[in-house]
Amino acid sequence: MANPRRTKEEQKVTEAPRNRRDTKKGTGGASSGDAGASAFGMRIENLSAHYGSFKAVTDVSMDIRANKVTALIGPSGCGKSTYIRCLNRMHEVIPGARAEGRVRLGDQDIYARDMDPVRIRRRIGMVFQKPNPFSKSIYENVAWGARINGYKGDMDELVEHSLKQAALWEEVKDKLKKSGYDLSGGQQQRLCIARTLAVEPEVILMDEPASALDPVSTQKIEDTMDQLKQSYTVVIVTHNMQQAARISDYTGFFYIENMGDPGRLWEFDETEKMFSNPDRKETEDYVTGRFG
Amino acid sequence: MPRETFQQELDTLLSEVLELGGEVEGTLENMVRAMEEHDAALAEKELGVDMRYKARGAGIDEECMILQARQAPVARDLRLLYTVQAVTNHLVRSGTLTEHICHALVDTAGCERDEDLEAALIEMARTARRLFHEGMEIFRARDIDRARDLQAADDKVDLLYSEAMNLIANPSADGGAPEWRMRAALMVHYLERIADHGVDIGSRTVFLVTGERIESAMQQYINRDLREE
Repeated sequence: MANPRRTKEEQKVTEAPRNRRDTKKGTGGASSGDAGASAFGMRIENLSAHYGSFKAVTDVSMDIRANKVTALIGPSGCGKSTYIRCLNRMHEVIPGARAEGRVRLGDQDIYARDMDPVRIRRRIGMVFQKPNPFSKSIYENVAWGARINGYKGDMDELVEHSLKQAALWEEVKDKLKKSGYDLSGGQQQRLCIARTLAVEPEVILMDEPASALDPVSTQKIEDTMDQLKQSYTVVIVTHNMQQAARISDYTGFFYIENMGDPGRLWEFDETEKMFSNPDRKETEDYVTGRFG
Repeated sequence: MPRETFQQELDTLLSEVLELGGEVEGTLENMVRAMEEHDAALAEKELGVDMRYKARGAGIDEECMILQARQAPVARDLRLLYTVQAVTNHLVRSGTLTEHICHALVDTAGCERDEDLEAALIEMARTARRLFHEGMEIFRARDIDRARDLQAADDKVDLLYSEAMNLIANPSADGGAPEWRMRAALMVHYLERIADHGVDIGSRTVFLVTGERIESAMQQYINRDLREE
């Protein structure tokens, strides 16, 4: 599906290497050489996140491949959500919270002093666990973000395109003026995805987007993600391991070795490998459901 | 430990496979003894085991499918179910082949035999029994170090196969009854297959433990040995 707001050059899908050897494994996570890191991919280097004096996540390095779905899994409290919020500078909005390390979007360090966090959040959108539509019409929910970002194109076209990408168009095309609140939970979540897409992010972060949804809605969100990665880079935190296995290309396992320690990226590899033959015992114990 | 019920189900499944393996080994043992001692009555006792083994194998397959549907296994659990299904297939096939040999022994009980060919056949049967037992021991103990030696031992079976086939193709003056020679050719083929099933059970164990096919796992293993030296 053509994206009305991207140039042909931007729409080019950069294929990340599938070769496992491109991914170094180990405690510190994964990082590959420059080859294969595309303009729209993200590179995280030695990222740590704090809440005041408490260190919640430490020393995470990870390459997030462009046009792929990267899933983050791990037991509760191991820092997955904190980590994902660092990827678009949402972590720092909590008083006392801060992040250290480097997060690069393409060639730019999003934590550089001259980077505007609001602009970063437009380029790296986020969908939350609980659907949070505005108290506006379905149409305005999608159009609003684009309008305040100065979108001058055909708004009807953008709204339709975004709703189609979020696999919601067919269900709402005849009631665009109705309130977003009139939709079911699953539809509201897809509306939030459409809203995120309308501002043309390069990366979409999803923090347990389907955890509050019924199986049919969950399936629709999962199908949506498969489509989205044609145009976007997707990072998803999920507690549903089968979901991670179904939809992601890469999986990162976060783990806390001892109570009170910060969370670490324990293993990061292709999803096929992580769910068939992970390198580390803790990963295998977790994915087989032996703890967590 | 979470998933205790699932673990118990896996343990039960595994013990069923090992039990089936023990029974097939018992049939194989009787077949070798019947061959060594010209004891057609002992061979006759094993006729009909084939149907029993097939039914047991189908039961194990069904349990594997139900566990996959209900428990969504991944990683080592998934490898175990995959391996259990493959090993069960090897066991059932070996049981069938052993029964075929028992049939041949019963049918040719009164036939005149070529001594050299019979000696080669018995040697091959003993080797097949040993390799099959070793494959099951590797699977039981998940001892993949022994799987490499088992691969090498398979060569001996191939050699015995060639020797026996040569004796069948070029019989001596007292080369035994044609019917016996014809059945001997089939028995040689069946024994080679049984040995191969045993070796494959060892190979499947390598995959179960390492997640790698034996070809690449053994290459890493060989490289490790070289580094250690």
